[in-house]
Amino acid sequence: MDVTEILKLLTGTFPEAISEAAAESEIRARAYVGREKVKEVCQYLKDSLQFDHLCSVCGVDYIKRNEFEVVYHIASYNHPVVLTLKARLPRESPEIESVVSVYWNANWYERETYELFGILFKNHPNLKPLVLPEDMLGEWPLRKDYEGFPNKTARNLV
Amino acid sequence: MEERLEPDEMIVHLGPQHPMQPGPFRLNLRLKGETVVDADIELGFIHKGIEKILENKTYLQGITIVDRICYLVALVNEECFVGCTEKLLGIEPPERSQYIRVILDELTRIQSHLLGMGEFGEFIGFVSMFMYTVREREEVLSLIDMITGARITHSYLKFGGVRDDLPDGFKEKAISVLNKLKKSVDDFEEMFHTDRIYRERTVGVGVLTADVAKNLGVSGPALRATGVPFDIRKNEPYLVYKDLDFKVCTETAGDCFARVQVRLNEIRESIYILEQCFDQIPSGPLFPEGSLYGRRTPVMRVPAGEVFYRVEDPRGEMGMYMISDGSDKPYRVKIRGPYYPTLQALPPLIIGTTVADVAAISGSMDGCTSEADR
Repeated sequence: MDVTEILKLLTGTFPEAISEAAAESEIRARAYVGREKVKEVCQYLKDSLQFDHLCSVCGVDYIKRNEFEVVYHIASYNHPVVLTLKARLPRESPEIESVVSVYWNANWYERETYELFGILFKNHPNLKPLVLPEDMLGEWPLRKDYEGFPNKTARNLV
Repeated sequence: MEERLEPDEMIVHLGPQHPMQPGPFRLNLRLKGETVVDADIELGFIHKGIEKILENKTYLQGITIVDRICYLVALVNEECFVGCTEKLLGIEPPERSQYIRVILDELTRIQSHLLGMGEFGEFIGFVSMFMYTVREREEVLSLIDMITGARITHSYLKFGGVRDDLPDGFKEKAISVLNKLKKSVDDFEEMFHTDRIYRERTVGVGVLTADVAKNLGVSGPALRATGVPFDIRKNEPYLVYKDLDFKVCTETAGDCFARVQVRLNEIRESIYILEQCFDQIPSGPLFPEGSLYGRRTPVMRVPAGEVFYRVEDPRGEMGMYMISDGSDKPYRVKIRGPYYPTLQALPPLIIGTTVADVAAISGSMDGCTSEADR
């Protein structure tokens, strides 16, 4: 399977959820996904397009645009294409569906993204701090407006 | 972990510091007799916040920081970070630099696997193995030391090339060390295959099947021991790996024995790659002709964009996702280390085994907690 075929199938199956899909090179593709549809899209990628290896899940704080992005890098054990799937979230209510039921190893990545950015993953089996101490919950240290311990960035989610 | 215990159950905490463990993380085991019925990992004892630090350092300063993600594989981490930046800058190092980087990557792989095997031996009570492998590892470290001038943290790669050329007499020294190492690797193999206690501690212990390993997101030797030939050097060749001849080492059993055997065979393949590098390395400049980049680029603006670049670490797939906003510091760097998913896969693997096997399984994964705890 090559990049153009993958992107064609992906946009053809989810015309309303996938936007700005483009190929960056022969082995890299990127696309935006609507935040309600992320689990269904991941399930389709895993079942139909052989994307069976989740490389990572991370958050990015675009403070000037007043939004977060959750970025999924999804690769395959069979073909060399890596898909960068992104979801935009408003900064006031950063919530997105968890993909742990699709990709088992998303568990820790989502927990880490939660404690570092304050992005809530709905229906996550165990959303609690992983790498930071519990009393740092609510610091959200990787947000761009974080000023350093013990100044809280935001307390709205704790 | 469930707080309420059955009358015949107990909880054993392994760690944060424990001779069995390759770094500070806590493994909580719920035992019924000697059988593990539940397991839970606590991380974060040495969290360094490297991703946040990188956002506040220039690109050149960042090289010294990524060295510290996992000091066993500092040069591979540098390759990943520098490779990301080079992709954003749109430059490619000349062939000689690429060969020097491959030489360093493979030397790093050899010394990391040697230490990994030695630690594994130590965890299952085979302490003399640690002595043997560390003795060989010191020689390999001396080779790296000859090139970079450091044994652990190197800061040797630069954007568009490498800091210094290979020293005089390096090839001869390296060939003599590697020939000696070949002999030692054969000795290690004989030791594994004939030592009855070693076999009984490892064969059939901690079996991962290919489907389960894929589902758990495992990569590197732990995955290749289940028979999946997934290697970034073949699947997504970087540097000059496409010009080099090597095979991806796989085993089929998926147990502790197979994982160590894969590492042993990978040392042999790395020696073979190094020999080809010494024959093929061309002469030429270390940095692109007429480029602005060189040994000293303290302030350097990188065009806006984003890139995901991955390399084959001794433990599996090392990837970095770098976003640049056009300034002299990265906007965001996500480090996807190989040991993080492997460590996450530990609890499902040890549930159902006995407490003595936990050390063997945990050790055969060849952990680096420092990297999981970036």
